[in-house]
Amino acid sequence: MKIKVDNLGFRYTGGKERALEGITFTVNQGEFIGIMGKNKSGKSTLASALVGLIPHFFKGAMRGNVYIDGLDTQETPIAELCQKVGIVFQNPFNQISGAKLTVYEEVSFGLENIGLPRNQMIERIEEVLELFGIAHLKDRNPFSLSGGQMQRLALACIMALRPEIVVLDEPTSQLDPLGVEEVYKSIAKLKEKGLTVLLIEHKTEYLAEYSDKILLLENGKLKNYDTPERIFGTNPGIQAPVYTQVCQALNKPKENGLYPVTLKDTIPLLKG
Amino acid sequence: MKVYTLYVPGKTYIHKMNPLTKLLYLAVAIAIPFIAPDPAITMACFLIGIFILGWAKVLHRVIYLLAMSILFISTIFIIQGLYYPGNTTPYLILGKLTFYKEGLIHAMVISFRLVNIMISASVLVLTTRPSDLISSAVRRGISPRLGYVMSSVLQIIPQMATTADTIMDAQKSRGLETEGNLKTRLKAYIPLLGPLVLGSLVSAQERAMALEVRAFNATGKRTFLQNEEDYTVSKAINAIIILALILTIIWRIYS
Ligand SMILES: Nc1ncnc2c1ncn2[C@@H]1O[C@H](COP(=O)(O)OP(=O)(O)OP(=O)(O)O)[C@@H](O)[C@H]1O
Ligand SMILES: [Mg+2]
Repeated sequence: MKIKVDNLGFRYTGGKERALEGITFTVNQGEFIGIMGKNKSGKSTLASALVGLIPHFFKGAMRGNVYIDGLDTQETPIAELCQKVGIVFQNPFNQISGAKLTVYEEVSFGLENIGLPRNQMIERIEEVLELFGIAHLKDRNPFSLSGGQMQRLALACIMALRPEIVVLDEPTSQLDPLGVEEVYKSIAKLKEKGLTVLLIEHKTEYLAEYSDKILLLENGKLKNYDTPERIFGTNPGIQAPVYTQVCQALNKPKENGLYPVTLKDTIPLLKG
Repeated sequence: MKVYTLYVPGKTYIHKMNPLTKLLYLAVAIAIPFIAPDPAITMACFLIGIFILGWAKVLHRVIYLLAMSILFISTIFIIQGLYYPGNTTPYLILGKLTFYKEGLIHAMVISFRLVNIMISASVLVLTTRPSDLISSAVRRGISPRLGYVMSSVLQIIPQMATTADTIMDAQKSRGLETEGNLKTRLKAYIPLLGPLVLGSLVSAQERAMALEVRAFNATGKRTFLQNEEDYTVSKAINAIIILALILTIIWRIYS
């Protein structure tokens, strides 16, 4: 088991209600988990708890436990956790350290902090820049990049720390359509590499395409944790992918009685 | 993307030199003319500075800087020439104004020191990336947090200026008056404050989180991407600079 969340609850200092309550679930190595929920349902709070920002960065009352690769996040400093689990946030701009003048040096920021020897640093920097298609930008100032490029840089910076789990908190919500495409190409690479990924996303077509399972939050509680087909089939309140909506309207379920959630599964149904 | 730095990229030995050596040079080159107030010594410091700047191929930048300071230096001459307390010997009379010899000489000494400071500071500022200076200081034991604050300020302030421009443009397009006399322009800045301050508080928190998950608070020993250049050469140069300082002090005591 890669991640074990056990009866997790959290209330921010000054917050009226619990942002999270009684959350329990597990994630296996290599699984791709989508996280959904309305605004303020606690998605980002859950993400913060998974990477140790709760309880180490945010003040508040935490209940229950989060184990990352067997490490209890309450007892492990973020500087150590970040080599097990990385996170990319919404705003690409605010993830640039501001202390480095080039894209290449920006990636070194975390590596210098963990005290990685210089030769390994260079190896890792070149590897991640190549992986996310930003090697040609290595001498540019990080602030001069486009949103999509900056977000891929943020991903590269995190991946250089070699985590086995990556949390992505609405990584494309502040990008233009081109940027969204670019970042999803990079997310596909994480999946190919067999990383354990947790993706918070409102665009359900993307969630359905990538996720093995979807975790649905409602008012800080875990409402449902299941395959995309069952999530979109049994929760009429949430916006399903367009493919599902079309097949529901045409009354074309799959053989197992559920409606498809991806384009790939929809085409044979509509042809046949 | 603007960065507030006067750094002129180059590949000369002066560019590659340890930033802290240049900082030491700056401190000593400023101190010597004060310790030994002999115009010949100030002149020597000045010439050495010019020589180094020429070596680093940045002399043209300094000439520009010096030209800019002429106005300031003229003010020193006028004020000291007219009002220096030791003024006794009239030198030049222009209508009702009398310039005295003592004051003008004093102004010359001050200006010379000032120019010397500008020249020596230029050696550091024009040939060193601020980030390199800061990381050298971090290597020598200043706290990485302080180092981060110093280097990020240099980048994030211009970034805030860009944000301010964006907000201003947006407000202009909604009909806000940002041109015209001083009062209307000042007024135009007030609605800017809200989004700018709130925006930067939010950004500050988000950036803090992003730094945190990149092990900013790690307690172990840090490493550095940039290799530091040859220690022995730096040490030799440092020794020469310190020797010059000591010799000046000795000269001062015995003369
Ligand atoms: N730093 C904070 N301090 C106090 N309360 C907070 C803080 N961050 C979030 N909250 C509160 O916690 C609850 C959950 O917020 P959270 O940001 O986790 O939701 P979310 O699902 O990520 O929402 P969104 O879709 O808007 O990103 C909200 O009621 C919010 O007001
Ligand atoms: Mg959120």
